Order: sequence, then C-alpha cells, then structure tokens
Amino acid sequence: MNAPFSRRHFLRRVANGFAMLPFFDAFTRTGAIGRPTSGGDGACARHHAPRCKAVIFLYMDGGPSHVDTFDYKPRLQQDHGKPWTRERERTQFENNGATLGSPWKFRQHGQAGHWVSELFPFLAQSADRLCVIKSTVADFSEHTNANYFLHTGHGLQGRPSSGAWVGYGLGCDTKELPAFCVLGGGLIPPGGIDCIGNGFLPAHSQGSLFRMKGEPLANVTPKEPKDAQRRKLDLIDALDATMLRESNAHDAIESAIKNQELAFRMQSAVPGLFDLGDEPDWLQRRYGVDDAYEPTRTYARQCLIARRLVERGVRFVELLCPNTGHDRWDQHGNLRGGLTDNCRMVDRPIAALLEDLAARGMLDETLVVYAGEFGRTPFAQGSDGRDHNPFGFTTWMAGGGVRAGASYGATDEHGYKAVDRPFSIHDMHATMLHLLGIDHEKFTFRHGGRDIRLTDVYGKVPREILAAH
Amino acid sequence: MRRCCPRPQAFGLAIVLAFAPSALAQIDAPFEQRLQHWAWKPIVDAAPPAVRESGFVHDPIDAFVLAGLEASGIPHADAVPAGAWLRRVYFDLTGLPPDEKQVAAFVADSSSTARARVVDELLASPRYGERWARHWLDLARYAETLGHEFDFEIPNAWHYRDYVIRAHNADVPFDRFAKEHVAGDLLPARRIDPATGIDESGLGTAFFWFCEQTHSPLDTMQHQADRIDNQIDVLTKTFLGVTVACARCHDHKFDAIGDEDYYALYGFLKSSRYAQRPLRRPAPAALMAAISARETLASLAAKTGSSDALPLDASLAGFTIVGDALTPRAMQHGVVESVDDEAVSVRELEGAWLCSADASTSRDCTMMSPTWKLESDFVHVEVAGKDARAQLIVDGFYIVREPLYGSLRRDISKPSPHWIRFDVKQFRGRSVHLQLLDQRAHDLADPARDRSVYPDDAWFAVRRLATTDAESPPEDPAPDSVQRLRSRDPEVATALSRWRVATSLLPAPATAPGTADGTGEDERVFERGSHKQPGEVSRRRFLRAIAGDTPMEIPSGSGRLELAERMFAVDNPLPSRVLANRIWRHMFGRGLAATVDNLGHLGEAPTHPELLDHLAASLVRGGWSQKALLRRIALSSTYAMDSVARGDAAARDPDNARLSRQNLRRLEGEAVRDAILAASDRLDERPTGPSISVRLHDEERARGKPARQGPVDGEGRRSIYLAMPRNFLPDLLVAFDLPRPVSSVGMRTSANVPAQSLALQNDPFVHAMARLCAEHLLQDGDATDEARIGRWFVRMFARVPNREETALCIAYLVDARTKGGDGAKAAAWAALAHALWNKKEFIYLR
Repeated sequence: MNAPFSRRHFLRRVANGFAMLPFFDAFTRTGAIGRPTSGGDGACARHHAPRCKAVIFLYMDGGPSHVDTFDYKPRLQQDHGKPWTRERERTQFENNGATLGSPWKFRQHGQAGHWVSELFPFLAQSADRLCVIKSTVADFSEHTNANYFLHTGHGLQGRPSSGAWVGYGLGCDTKELPAFCVLGGGLIPPGGIDCIGNGFLPAHSQGSLFRMKGEPLANVTPKEPKDAQRRKLDLIDALDATMLRESNAHDAIESAIKNQELAFRMQSAVPGLFDLGDEPDWLQRRYGVDDAYEPTRTYARQCLIARRLVERGVRFVELLCPNTGHDRWDQHGNLRGGLTDNCRMVDRPIAALLEDLAARGMLDETLVVYAGEFGRTPFAQGSDGRDHNPFGFTTWMAGGGVRAGASYGATDEHGYKAVDRPFSIHDMHATMLHLLGIDHEKFTFRHGGRDIRLTDVYGKVPREILAAH
Repeated sequence: MRRCCPRPQAFGLAIVLAFAPSALAQIDAPFEQRLQHWAWKPIVDAAPPAVRESGFVHDPIDAFVLAGLEASGIPHADAVPAGAWLRRVYFDLTGLPPDEKQVAAFVADSSSTARARVVDELLASPRYGERWARHWLDLARYAETLGHEFDFEIPNAWHYRDYVIRAHNADVPFDRFAKEHVAGDLLPARRIDPATGIDESGLGTAFFWFCEQTHSPLDTMQHQADRIDNQIDVLTKTFLGVTVACARCHDHKFDAIGDEDYYALYGFLKSSRYAQRPLRRPAPAALMAAISARETLASLAAKTGSSDALPLDASLAGFTIVGDALTPRAMQHGVVESVDDEAVSVRELEGAWLCSADASTSRDCTMMSPTWKLESDFVHVEVAGKDARAQLIVDGFYIVREPLYGSLRRDISKPSPHWIRFDVKQFRGRSVHLQLLDQRAHDLADPARDRSVYPDDAWFAVRRLATTDAESPPEDPAPDSVQRLRSRDPEVATALSRWRVATSLLPAPATAPGTADGTGEDERVFERGSHKQPGEVSRRRFLRAIAGDTPMEIPSGSGRLELAERMFAVDNPLPSRVLANRIWRHMFGRGLAATVDNLGHLGEAPTHPELLDHLAASLVRGGWSQKALLRRIALSSTYAMDSVARGDAAARDPDNARLSRQNLRRLEGEAVRDAILAASDRLDERPTGPSISVRLHDEERARGKPARQGPVDGEGRRSIYLAMPRNFLPDLLVAFDLPRPVSSVGMRTSANVPAQSLALQNDPFVHAMARLCAEHLLQDGDATDEARIGRWFVRMFARVPNREETALCIAYLVDARTKGGDGAKAAAWAALAHALWNKKEFIYLR
C-alpha cells in the first residue's frame, strides 16, 4: 500500500454508501492521512485472520429467564417456595417474593451434555452446536439503559450500535444491501431505534430496519411502473451529466449519482430477498413458516431472511422480536404463559437456522449470538413472575469460530449472580469483533475529543470459548 | 457506571497509536504549557494584510484569504454566476430558494448595490430566524421529549424553539442571548418581546433540560451525575468549543481543563432546578391589583373582621415561587373557589397559608422548598387544594413515578386542610426538596399524553412541612369553612366585577420549560467519575484557564448569574471565536477551525487564525451582532467564489483549506423539504406555534410512540416546525443527517446514502408535492412547454435551462404523455417536477 492515497480519495470511497473499506489502519499507523479530524477516522481493516464473515444477532427483547431455559439449578428447585434469605440487590419493582423454582423440566442434551429445559425442544437437538455462556453480566437493571448497553456498549442514548461499528469497520460484500440489516418482527425495543443507530459514525453505517409486514424498507417500493421510473432516471442521469462535468466530477455529486442507481437496484433486490418462493417447501416448514402460531411464523421468516442476507454478503444482521402479546420476554408476571409462548416463537426457527447454515457450510463463517439485555431473578416478583437480573444470566453463541458444545462460566447455586468467570457485555463485543478479525482495542473513532471504542476501556476475549484453529 | 476515555498509562499502545506525537507530549504537560494552546490565548485583532490583486478585496475578509493564496501562488476561483450566487445566499440566510420574480429582479439589477439590497432583505426576513435557529437547535440538542423507554413529553418545549427564532430575527446581541441561556431567569433586566409580550429572558434556560431522562433508575445520584454531565458537555461545547466533560473522571488529557473545573461547574447545575416558567410575567402592580381584588371579594365572606397577616410557619422559610406571586407571603382571606351567576364560593383556611390562588385559581405556579438532607422516615405536608400535586425531588430526579418512585408523589385533591405523607425510609441521607405544582400538566413525568384533561382552576395551599420518624402527622389539620356569597348582592357584585377586571388584565397563564434557582451547593470531585467516591469539595467557579482558581463570590442561590457574567466577560476569547467559526462554517461548509465543537488540542487548528481572530474581534466590536457579521461574509468576494477550482488549485489545495474556492455543499434535510414545499407553492409561512406531529410508519409497536399521526405534507409548514420527539424523529430529515439530539452538534455530517435517493424517489410526500407542483403550473393556461420548463428551472435552480436541457425535458414529456393514459398531461408534468427534484443540482449549492 504505497500509493499516495489522499484523505480525500479515501473519504470519497467511504462516502459512497456501503463501500468496502480499504486498509485504513495502515494509513493511520503510518500517518499517511495526516492527523484525523473529529469524526473522520477510526475505521479498520482486519487486524488478524477472521474466523467469521458475518454475525446474526438474535436479540431477545425484554430479558429472557435463564433459570427456566439454559441454566439448570437443582438447588433452586429444592428451595422453591421458601423465603429468599440471601442478600438481595434492589430490583426494578421492589416487589420481591419467595424463591421460585423453575416450573419446567430440564434434561441434558447431546454429547456436550448441555442442560436445556423442555421449553426449547428443537434447539435442544442442536445443543452440540452451542457455546453456552452462563456467567453473562450487564451493568443495568432497567430496559432502556440495558438495551443501549447491550447494543452500543454504553448505557446512554447516542452511541453507535455494535452492528454499526462492524458495518463501518468492514463494509459488506454486496453492493445492493447495507452492511447492517435489522429484521423487525414488529416490536421496537425500549430505547427506540437508537439501539440500532449509527451514533456518531457516518450515516451509512446505521442499521437499516426491514419490516416483515407492509413495505419492507422505508421508501423501497416504487410508486410508478418500473419502465416509467427507468425513463425518469435516464432523464435525471442526462441532466446530471452537465452538473457532474461542470463541477469537475465532484466526489459528492458522483456519489449521489451512484446512490441513485443503487437505490434503484435495491428496489428489486429487497423484494427479491423477501420472496421466499425459491426456498423449498420442506425447508420453509422446518423453519416454521407455516407454524400454527403467528409469532413463530414471523420469526421463521426473519431467520430464513437472515440466512439469505448473510448469503448475499451482508455483514451484520440483527433480529428484533415479534409480538407474542406478553410484553416481550419481560415476564414480571405470568411466567408460565409468557415464557412458553416466547420460547415457542423462537425455538423452531432458531434451530432450523443453525442446521440450515450448517448444511450449507455457512455456520463456520457465521457467528450466531443469542442474548437479552439481562436475565431474571431466581426469586419471584409477586408470585408468578421474575424481575430483572443483570448480575448473572445466560447467552449463547454458535458457529463462526466459537467452540461448539462448550459451556463457559457459572452463576451461583440459585442462578442469581455470576460466580465463575463473569462475561461482560464488553467481552461479548470484544469476542464478536475478534472473530471478525478486529482487535477491539485498536478499533476507535474520534468523537467529541476522544477516541472511542465499542468496548470503552474494557473487554476481553476468553480463549476458552474460541474454537481450535 | 464509570465511563471515561481510555487512560493511556493503563491501556498502553492501543489507543495511543491514533494520536499524533504532539498530542502524546501533551498528556504529561503541565497546566501552564497547556495554556499555550492557541484557543486560550487572547484575540489578536490584526490589520488585514496587503495583497496584490486589490480588486478582489470587497471586505477585509478577502484580504486575509487572498494573502494566503497569493503567498502560496494558488489561484482563487472565479466569481460564481449571478443566479448561483443568489440561490446560495438565499439558502444560506433563509433556507429557502429565491422565486422566479426574485431571480428576475436580481438578474435585471445591474446597480452596484444589488447584492447588498438582497442580503439586507434576507437578513430582515422572518425566514432568516427560522433558518439560523435550526443551526442553534443542533447545538442545544433540542428535542420535545425525554427519550428513554417511554419518551415522555417535555411540556411546552416548542416555546424554546420559537424563542430562538425570535432572538435570531431580532438579532439579539449574542452575549445577551448566551447569558439568557445560562441565567436568563436571574438577569435583572428583562427582555420583553414587543409583539407578544413574552418575557424572553427566562426561556433560554430551557436549554439545560433537553437531555435524556430515565423513568426508573435504581440510583438517582448516578442519574443526576449523568444528567449534569450532559448539561456540562452541552454548555461548554456550545459556548466555549471545548470538551470539559472529558474531565469527569480525571483531568483532561490534553487541554488545560482539570477535574476540579468539571466539578466546579457541576455545583452550578446541582443548585439549579427544572421548572415550568411563566411565558409572560404580569406587571407587579397588575398582579397586586388582582390579589387585592380577590382579598376584598373574599373578605366579604370573612367571619372575622381581621385581615392582619399571620407569619408563615418556620418550616416554610426559604420557599421559592416560580409563577404568579410577588414573594412568599401568607394569603389573606379565603380562596375564591368558584363563581357563577348565583353564588361566589369562598373557602377560608385557618392559619397562615402559602397559596397558589392568591390572585385566582386560574393562575399557575410552582413552589419549592430549599434542599435538605433526608434524616427522617417520613415527610408530612399540610396542604389543601384541587387537582394539584406535591412531589419530593430526590437528587434532582424529576421523573417521579411508579414502579420505584411512586411514594414520592402525592396528588392534592381535597380542598379542606389535610396532611399528605411521604414514606422516605429508603431515601434517608439523600438530598431532597419539595415541589408543589398547581398544574399537573407541568410535571415532567405526568402520565397523561393529552394534557387538556386537566382543569385550569387547580390550586393548592400549604401551611407546614414536618419531618418525623412517626407515621402520623404532628397535629390535626387546620379547620376550614366554606362561605357562599350571593353574586347579585350589590357589594359582592362590585367586588366581583373589580376582581374580574383585575384578573382579565393579567396575561393568560402559559408556561415554558426553564430553570429555577435552588439551594446553592458545591460538589465534591468524584474520584474516577464515581459519585460513590467523593473527594475534595470543588467550589463553584468558572474554568481556571480563563478565570483562575479563586472561588466565585456567590451571594445566594445557584450562582448561575455570576457564572454567566464571568463566562461572557470580554477577557474570555472562546465565545466569540466559537461563534465566528460556526458562522463561517455555515456559510462555507467548513469552519476556519474545522472541528467547530472542539477548539482544544485534539481539534483542528484554524487554517486562517488571523482571519478567525479578526472576525471574532469584529463580532465583539459590533455589539455581538450576528447579522452584521453575516452581512460582511455574504458580501465578500470570498463567499462569492465559484465552487469550481481554477487552474491548478484543485491539485494544490485539495481539501480547500486555503479557501481557493467556495465549497460545493449539500442542502440540509430541512432545506430540501422546504425547497420542495416552495417549489409546489405549498409552503405555509405561518411563523411559530405548537409543533406539527410527525408522520410515522404504522407497523411497529414501540413504547412512547406519539398517538397522533401528522399529515404527509406537515401542513406545508417549514421543517423547523415539525415535532421533535427524541425517539421518533422525522424520517426524511433523519435520512438527510438530522443529528440525534444527544449532545451539541455544530457540524452536521453530510452523508451520501441510498436512503436519501430512496426518499427522493419514492417518499409519498415527494410524490404528493410533485402532483401539486404540476397542478399549479398548468393553471397558467396556454403557456408553451418551453416557457414552463424555463420557469421551473428558474424556480428550482435559479437559472434558465440551456438548449440541451430543454430538449431533454420536452422529449421526456412527449414520451410520458404518449405512454400515459387519461390525465397524462398533468401526470407527465408531475413526473418532470419529480425528476427535477432528483437532479442533484436541486439538493446542492454550487
């Protein structure tokens, strides 16, 4: 890379929509682009050989109960109904009841022997693909702060989402879709679309929200017949030619003209993406596209489209939850009904996604992450609910360079707090970046006078959860 | 949560790599050395340099720019064609394009004063304020809701937006405008808007409260620390262009700012409170007249003849009032509760009461106690009233509601004296003050989305406040009685009519968010930014780099008034440099120092330091008039240059740091939308008023989503009047880089993303306006296609089309008409309008 690329040339590339980013890090080190301005630097090339190409982030809005799904605690079952005698942190509702054992049965699955409750019958069959992290901790017990934290590594509004960082840093392998795609199931998480925003990063890195109902992407549906639109664009191109010439082919004008063509292509690419006609019926059924339960059908489509996005070269896909009518995974009450329906919504589609990716040889290069913003308390809220618990909960990863079948960390005997190797949200982000080939400590963006990282000043990558090379 | 920037000592190479070596050297530099950074130094008002090409110099600005170009032998660009200059200056000063007549008049005017005439007209136009206020709102991170989970409304926030518009139109001296932001509620001289009677001074202080706020934090101290951090960040970036918030956890790593500076500023904000402030303040005499008329009327019902004022209970000492009241004093005679043709109902409360209905129940006010430290299990307050509310504000936390804070809120809904009780066991040791509201709609946390549910005859009275460990109040409540007077009784009728006249002379009760003074408190330095590790007290004062480290003399209250005077004293070089630099940035697309919000060590040094100082000095000399500076810039040769480089300038000045040309600039989203409205004759130029609801996509369920959907065309109002719910910003503006209202943004990004093309190609608003545009055009009867195309080019691009362009458009129209069916004529013209808006020239300034 000896070519004397100017900063201007560089910006010209990154300005153009979903550009693939060149070796910016090399420039930064050698000072080839000079001293960066605020909001101009920080993108990176891969610092080491990547283990995966893409991330699918299964965001479980509301905070699923870990003690009823993946974190089996015999002691909790024994103490069911007894007063909670251990020290207790302040909770969101401060309406704390007795120790609450899980109403569901657990069984070990696969060679790995992961404990999975009967709420996840399909996923249990793929247990050997999971790397289960039982000691995840977050900094916040309140949804919105916790959502910002899970997504952006910072508890307040306005920071870039992890998908935006990844998209900004690595771009994507398609010219027709954004690097960071969000598949909305119908619910926007508390904190709003700032959870998936670009914060201070350039606008092209923001999450593009696709909807499962109605128009899939804002303004992606042409309002006129295709040939009429083509004629119109031809006129615009012809008229723009003059301006491009007169401006000495100014970067901004050139980019804007290219974006217009890209937008035109997206109009057919996006509906094509959503048309599942080319997926065999048996596969669609396996995802649950025809399931009797409507939220399962929606989530099945999301999972299937997530795979299609990754196939097309999208870098980071996040799935938001459909509406089960139980106020997300936020079971302050009606634990039995709410958790049953939520698990039913995601179980079959996620299992199918993992198996489908594996069958296509894509799982090795696609990291799948399952996480809520926190877990739930092992003691009851009221009699039939669980309050928020950021002190120890379960997340899992699969594919993309993580060790299949591994189990990492542990909570105490009631599943309340992480006691073995706590795994922070910063660690999750650091790991994600690491698997993509990025060193989270070197990936910065200057904003407001600081060089900011996704992981702030924290984050580590536990070697135990990485697959052997 | 101790978020901070990386400490190089601890985190080694990783983060240091990105810094230039000079920045590294700064990390351990002593304070005195840090003070040598250019931004802290006094402004040097140098004479404009001599230049060879004197014909270029229309203003000293041109001499500064040209001297640099001549010295490096870089040629300056030609002057831009007249039409392009006109379009540029219209958008820059008013955010709107010139119409056909304005273009024709300008092109026909060959006099030497033609440009000055245009600039003067634009600066005098009310559209100017609407344009420049939006720049300011970016700095104020203006939003009309609090964000977070439920996106609660900030009641009446739009009044601040209108205040900023009026202030820009009136060209209020910037130092005054700035002081109003910091301490407008305390400034002795009030600034009253002559047209509306609005007391402008206090409105600026709303600025502090456009921050995100959480409804249910587990730690209110942390919440307060985060809120104040944002307030300090915005205050210092906006007015000083330095990042003081970097010193939250430790001394600034590069600039002459220490953590004691940060916590010195913290004290001012900790001692200040949120309050709804009256928009118009009644003249004291008028208010006194209304109070005395109410007293006379109520005295007719008095059982006892005595009207001697009783002293207030000692527990009410230091109570302050925001709203209609002279000073805290005991009400005399009873509350006039209701009046009709038959009877006047007067409620007499025994004892000495502070009452919100001293003049009338329809008046609004907020009363507040001093701050005290909670050392009891219960707080009891003896009150009476109707539809009012009492809240305990713990650690400056105003979102008082369930699930965690419901016990700190009590509605006052019984007109007989009674005690209300707050169980505060869990808040022992925390700082608290009592807030009494006689309009629940003023509450930041009020759950009602529709605030019209509240009656305007709410009132409260308060007699005593007691802190006890006992659950029961110290004594029985005072007795009361209701007397009914016959309205037709001549004596009553006279008093009633006098009272009605007196109250009708008071301004209508309306409020806007703002700041009120609380109890003055200094803060301790939080070690590593954690409030759980309080260190030494940092007395309130301004930045040491400007004002030294002697504490400020603060006679009482928060000290914001003293801070405002010190911040904007003439020896502080930052505010005028920051302002001049930002004005330049808006006229050229880039500041003389490119990092307009950070003139500190990590920012970019100015490309033309002498020019920047010249502009800053001229601002101050010109009485801080922004319009005067804008006029100079707009009429300079530098501003009038083409954006196309001449000769080898593009190669030799690739980033245009030497200003060898104007910059080609994309319009902001607001200007794009407004220009489409203008082109379609749909622009409704009504100024000011409540915001127009945003139109949102329907499918998503999201918390706090506004109940009302706005119309597609936003009623044709300028974009600045669109609602700004923090979590639901207008899509079209967001696609064109409307910044998220989080912190000050003096330089928006100008991204180039396909979402912009998709919006311009397919947005329902754009299509609706294109149809309207064609409809209006075709009303001209028998004009030729050429004439119509010509008119549109002038309207949209401020120039006539060349022959090739006309031919392209005509061919397109013919084709579209042939292929279309019924209504093909109008549809073809609508399609052409749509195409022209997608022509890049429409959204760029040459």
